[in-house]
Amino acid sequence: MSLPRTWQRFLNETGELSRFTGRFFSQGFKPRYEISELLRQCYIIGYKSLPLVGLTGFIMGLVLTMQLRPSLISYGAESQLPAMVSIAVVREIGPVITALIFAGKIGSSIGAELGSMRVTEQIDAMEVSGTNPFKFLVVTRVLAATLMLPVLVLLSDAISLYGSYLGVNIKGVTSLDLFFKQVFDALSFDDFIPAFIKTYFFGFAVGIVGCFKGFNSKKGTEGVGRSANSAVVVSSVLIFILDLLAVQITDLFGLN
Amino acid sequence: MAKKTINNVKLGIFALVGLLVMIFSLYMIGKDTNMFGSNYTLRVRFDNVHGLTSGNNIRYAGIQVGTVKKVKILNDTLIEVSMLIDTKMKNYIHMSDIVSMSTDGLMGNRILNIAPAKDGSPLAQDGDLLVTKKSTSTDDMLETLDKTNRNIKDVSEELKMTFLRINSSSALWKLLSDETLPNNLRASAVSIRHAAVNADKMVADIHEIINDVKAGKGSLGAILTDTTIAYNLNEAVVRIQQVGDHADELAKQLTRIAETIKQDVNTGKGPAHAILKDSSIVINLNNSLSNIEKGTASFNQVMEALKHNFLLRGYFRKLEKKQKEEQQKAGY
Repeated sequence: MSLPRTWQRFLNETGELSRFTGRFFSQGFKPRYEISELLRQCYIIGYKSLPLVGLTGFIMGLVLTMQLRPSLISYGAESQLPAMVSIAVVREIGPVITALIFAGKIGSSIGAELGSMRVTEQIDAMEVSGTNPFKFLVVTRVLAATLMLPVLVLLSDAISLYGSYLGVNIKGVTSLDLFFKQVFDALSFDDFIPAFIKTYFFGFAVGIVGCFKGFNSKKGTEGVGRSANSAVVVSSVLIFILDLLAVQITDLFGLN
Repeated sequence: MAKKTINNVKLGIFALVGLLVMIFSLYMIGKDTNMFGSNYTLRVRFDNVHGLTSGNNIRYAGIQVGTVKKVKILNDTLIEVSMLIDTKMKNYIHMSDIVSMSTDGLMGNRILNIAPAKDGSPLAQDGDLLVTKKSTSTDDMLETLDKTNRNIKDVSEELKMTFLRINSSSALWKLLSDETLPNNLRASAVSIRHAAVNADKMVADIHEIINDVKAGKGSLGAILTDTTIAYNLNEAVVRIQQVGDHADELAKQLTRIAETIKQDVNTGKGPAHAILKDSSIVINLNNSLSNIEKGTASFNQVMEALKHNFLLRGYFRKLEKKQKEEQQKAGY
């Protein structure tokens, strides 16, 4: 092997992650299903993340509106502010910012939780006791993350646009009715559908990377911190890579 | 276990709200593209669509009524646009309504405007082809503007020339600075007014006369209205005709006479012939005339002699005196 050690490690990990993903698909959709655990994870991953995601979404909408206003005023197109913000939020800001926050909160928690379980040998104990730890721990979490992120993004978009409405009203005056009329006039399915679909991939990436890092955690308590950290970093990077892919694919289908 | 149920309920609410937001968004986005309402298709043909694409808005008298469904090329000069129109508009859009293309705002999307024709043509049905009006593109506008500018340039140059001429014309300035002119004009105006008043009076008089004539007053009225005059006139005309006939006869007789005279003259009978044709008579006449001349001369001599005679001198003097008096009277 003439490749540098870092490259070797990177490729090795990519391979491991791919195998881990393959294992998820091969085992995840076979009985027996851990429905109640899945619901519990959905509650923790989805519902518990809403305040954080909502807050960031609200601030994003408000700030984006106030930041865009001066340049739109210079074009004399201040009335286009709702249209502009809505397209920005629905197409890009909403999914990506929410996914990053989600990665920060959920990716790290999954990584740390599974990592500590691995380090304290609970996963091994589970295997001995006859429960499939992969199904019980990994599949439920990944599915929960995949299913919950789109919902969070939808709610975040809505809260964002409400924040934007308040942002418009700080310096101008518009009614909520007119604001949302303008928003939905500006939006089309081409804006909404691809952005919605890519959130599933974001959620899946966050879940699978968090689980992978936690499940393969090593070297004691130090490894737990490292797996939590790297889960966030890798899933964040993956979100951007997926976003890049998504925009290419939508462009390929002529939906842009 | 109770906590788990509560958590599940919370999760359910969370997911439901997300779902509702999604459905609401999809509905709101789809509402304008006529995906959920019932609609019908109308077609329209342009030679240039200026970037119109499917999904662009269609307005009827300014109201959003549908979207462009498809833009299809029929041939190199004709592009057909299918329009999805809300079924509610079926009672308003007529066959002869005019479709034109414009822009939403200054830099916005292309939109189609359906302008009501208001001529009572039948309502448009599904698949009907509406008429179009060629929209003015910016290029056309600029072209026209260019032409207008050139014309304005020419006109302004000519105006400049005209003004230069006016400025250099001394006659005009004299006319303008002449102070008697307004007075004259005023006087003329007064005269014109008088004339107008007179004309007015005259017209009134004429009117009155015409009224009188109509009423049968006066001779003209009598002529125009009295039927007996017409009868008399008719008789007079008949008589004139009779007179004419007589004159004709007379003329015939005269020609006959003239002819006999002519014959006489030519054949050498009668005094006319003697006068006109016989040369000896002319000589005799001449001789007679010279004799008469001589006779009168001797008579004058005799008269002079008589004037000087003592017996008649007094009478002639009296005559002269009377003549002089008459002349003096005439002189004063």
